[in-house]
Amino acid sequence: MSPEQNPSRSFGRRSFLRASGTVAAAGFLAACGGNTGRGGGSAGGKAAISQWYHQYGEAGTQQAALRYAKAYTKADVSVQWIPGDYASKLSSGLVSSNGPDVFEFHPDVQMAKSGQIVPLDDIIADVKSDFTEKDLAANSVDGKVYGIRMIDDPQFLYYRKSLLEKAGVQPPTTFDELIDVSRKLDKGGVKGLYLGLKGGSDILASPLIWATGSELLTADHKVAFDTPATVEGLKKMRELYTSKTLLLGAPTDWWDPSAFTQGLTAMQWCGLWAMPGIQKALGDDFGIVPLPGIGSAGRPVVYNGGWSTYVSAKAKDVDAAKAFVKWLWIEQTKFQEDWCTSYGFHIPPRKSLAAKATKLQSGTAAEAVKLFETKGHYDDPYWTQAMMTISQDMVNNAVVSGKNPESEVAKARTRVEAELKKIA
Amino acid sequence: MATSSTTDVRGRPRAVSGRAGGVAVYTVAVVAALLFLVPFYLLIRNSLATDADITGTNWKFLPTELHWENIPELFNDPAVPMARSMWNSLVVGVLGTAGQLLVCSLAGYALARVPYRHANKIFYAVLATLMIPSAVTFVPSFVLVSSLGWVSSLQGLIVPGLFSGFTAFLFRQYFLGFPKELEEAARIDGLGSWGTYWRIVVPNSRGFFSAIAVITFITNWNAFLWPLVIGQDQSSWTVQVALSTFTTAQTVNIHELFLAATVSILPLVLVFLFLQRYLVEGVAHTGIKG
Amino acid sequence: MTTITTGGARPGATASPGPAAKAKARRDGHGMRGSTRTFWLFAGPFLAGLLLFVYVPVGWSFYLSLFQAQNTVTPTKFVGLDNYADILTEGPFTDSLWTFTLFALIVVPLTFVLALALALLVHRIRVARAFFRSVFFIPTACSYVVASMVWKLSIFNGVRFGLANTVLGWFGIEPVAWIGTVSPPWYWLVLVTVRLWLQLGFYMILFLAALQQIPKELYEAAWTDGARPGRQTFRHITLPQLRTTSVAVILLLLIAAYQAFDEFYNLLPNTPYARPPLVYLYYTALGQGQDFGHGSAGALVLSALITMVTLLQGRIFGFGKADS
Repeated sequence: MSPEQNPSRSFGRRSFLRASGTVAAAGFLAACGGNTGRGGGSAGGKAAISQWYHQYGEAGTQQAALRYAKAYTKADVSVQWIPGDYASKLSSGLVSSNGPDVFEFHPDVQMAKSGQIVPLDDIIADVKSDFTEKDLAANSVDGKVYGIRMIDDPQFLYYRKSLLEKAGVQPPTTFDELIDVSRKLDKGGVKGLYLGLKGGSDILASPLIWATGSELLTADHKVAFDTPATVEGLKKMRELYTSKTLLLGAPTDWWDPSAFTQGLTAMQWCGLWAMPGIQKALGDDFGIVPLPGIGSAGRPVVYNGGWSTYVSAKAKDVDAAKAFVKWLWIEQTKFQEDWCTSYGFHIPPRKSLAAKATKLQSGTAAEAVKLFETKGHYDDPYWTQAMMTISQDMVNNAVVSGKNPESEVAKARTRVEAELKKIA
Repeated sequence: MATSSTTDVRGRPRAVSGRAGGVAVYTVAVVAALLFLVPFYLLIRNSLATDADITGTNWKFLPTELHWENIPELFNDPAVPMARSMWNSLVVGVLGTAGQLLVCSLAGYALARVPYRHANKIFYAVLATLMIPSAVTFVPSFVLVSSLGWVSSLQGLIVPGLFSGFTAFLFRQYFLGFPKELEEAARIDGLGSWGTYWRIVVPNSRGFFSAIAVITFITNWNAFLWPLVIGQDQSSWTVQVALSTFTTAQTVNIHELFLAATVSILPLVLVFLFLQRYLVEGVAHTGIKG
Repeated sequence: MTTITTGGARPGATASPGPAAKAKARRDGHGMRGSTRTFWLFAGPFLAGLLLFVYVPVGWSFYLSLFQAQNTVTPTKFVGLDNYADILTEGPFTDSLWTFTLFALIVVPLTFVLALALALLVHRIRVARAFFRSVFFIPTACSYVVASMVWKLSIFNGVRFGLANTVLGWFGIEPVAWIGTVSPPWYWLVLVTVRLWLQLGFYMILFLAALQQIPKELYEAAWTDGARPGRQTFRHITLPQLRTTSVAVILLLLIAAYQAFDEFYNLLPNTPYARPPLVYLYYTALGQGQDFGHGSAGALVLSALITMVTLLQGRIFGFGKADS
């Protein structure tokens, strides 16, 4: 027990000291702490809550999740740590009667519209201003907030400083430079750039469209990505792909930094979460840049991924589940901070916590936070999982299979419109 | 090389195929065997190596040092309950096989031997299920099982798999060929259908039962998709699910992954080596009957 | 091995107790009622289970396929055959059918020929025959999860420490990104070899069993007639004698290929160029899509196709006609 508890206790002490410095914040937290006793824990037997997480790669995360659940006294919380294809298990769980009561996922309008998840406006109301506008928007459907953001995970390009110096190149600031740098870095068994098993056609599908200056959907949820700029973006991406400088077929996908740390590639698209591991392996020998803009309207892009917590409409006791979510992801700031910074690096979605996250306030991590704030693009809840697959197929067909980009964009447009009809 | 032998119309062809032909046959056999063994070699090599050995620049045929300590590392890894999942696989394998044999053999016997007005229609209804890919029924099956409250439970893993149309079909075909005289003798001795089945039919079909048992056990042990969805709680993971957790973890521990894979196939390889006779018989049956 | 000649996969011929059995039952003097009770005593548990765990879900799937079932399995919006129309218009599902067709065109003949070749090889070998048979057969013990892992991480990974790339490196060839490239489409090599490794032994055993059934006298008669051992006897005796087995093998291979899921799912990411029907349906209904209406429609279309192929093959190769 003790080895598990020690780090959190010492962390708690540290954060307490820091918190006591910021009196305003402390008072604010105490205030919302007083709001809890609302029905959740009921008088009789304790409610049972099942909470689902996808499997995090960072060591210690599972123990942490279990620790948080155990610390909750008003209900028995059982944590399910789901390996493998989380989206599939979640969707089959949600249609069954054995699904989760509380789970983490990404914003999805269809879950809200089909009544699989319940609005959480009441539990977030008091601290709404502590979340960024964009985090809230990403979790809102028809003006209601459905998810509480747990972590923000910006994704960007990592590069090896020493290899760039050796090749005599600067970190890329335009897409053409990216292609050029990747070419120059591709030598001696080290590839130029790693964008994952699918050559970036999955994870970069949205960022690529953003980088051309286009949007996925308009503000009133109509197709917006079918622009000449997107076609141009696909052509550039194809140029990068056919330069033969991409690493393809590494043992693990883009989210794992080992291709980068093992020296298989000089640059890699990955997330902030991987930074502690990269620091450990490479020391200071790395830097980060956003995905460079493409074309005249182009803009550099960072992808603000992350996870949020939702409450299933089928929860055995929806109120108890909401009370637990409120406790863990709104009141227990100590746990939230632990979750975001003790294992991998994640940006705490709460402004008050982000301000205190010392590990994110210096060096490359601070740079990442800045990119997240200035260049970050969030998922649109109306851009559903099905639409993501459609856009990824579009990029894959145009970039990897070399099909005509204009017709791929047109095809994707038709299919996305069909999906949009389902939501309307 | 088969045609290279000299012509001798009276001689036995094997005898005349000649030394050259024989050498060629064995050469081909040895090369093919080596190719078939490569994956096993990789499993063992990677199991007992360090990740640095595996990902190093030069290929190492064997790790410089055999890292036996990888074994306790695997079984002590708190993230993946290897021992527990092996046990679950064993329970699912044994109970699932026993149950399927019981249920399906009885049905097969009824379809083959018990006269019944609608037996024909029922047989076609069973046969039709052989065409349906599992994905068709996957989602509703899951919903059904979960509404029974069987998610993350052994019965959820076992029971839906018991009713295999294919196995019932195989038993029916087998019982069609079962000598009627034996049953008739039993009836003369005063045994009813139930008694005849258990005292005469089953004991005289031990070979076939063993063959189907081995095949069914292997299928159960290797099943992946259903256990993955049903086994939501760690305590109900089978070994295939445990394996998949390694491959999807955000950092891949290659040697541990390979060791887990090696451990997972070990019981079946043993089954193969010791029960090969039944297996071969079983495959011959299942294949032809498919 | 009488089972081989009674050939099971013939729904029409010997499939049911039929009128003869009924007549016999009457003749035997067993009361129909008594035997009905016996029938249900024996088959009842199985049939109840089959009903609950196969027929109910299939019916449910059919129901879902007629509705807009987005994120729910108890839908309310009836759409008739729209889901079928959607899924059959050109798009990822029809693409997946082409992917499958290509896969089957490669893997079925290849497995057939190689399994037969291995069977002939083992059949001819006298010394260490059991050893070779075991070696070719043992991969059947491995799961697709394990095999895909070995293929993906150790043989065909795209970096320098993969076995295939190491071997290429000895000849000074640059590492190949086996599963990450479509030109040339090396991922087919990976997909096909993993399936071959896992299933060849199984089919080899089938052929081996059939080879052992061929009466020696046939060959001896042929030699006496002046046929040359080898190609001639193979063509005129061995192959015709293997007919029943061959037909069964092709049928099994086709169905297995149609239901291909595990290796695609475990080896490749979800890509449009290598996505067979089951993988597409899995991602549509269960995966991120949660579109149970289209997913169910596609699954039923797939079932219909499998049934059609099976029946068609029966027609072409004369299943059921051979011996009535």
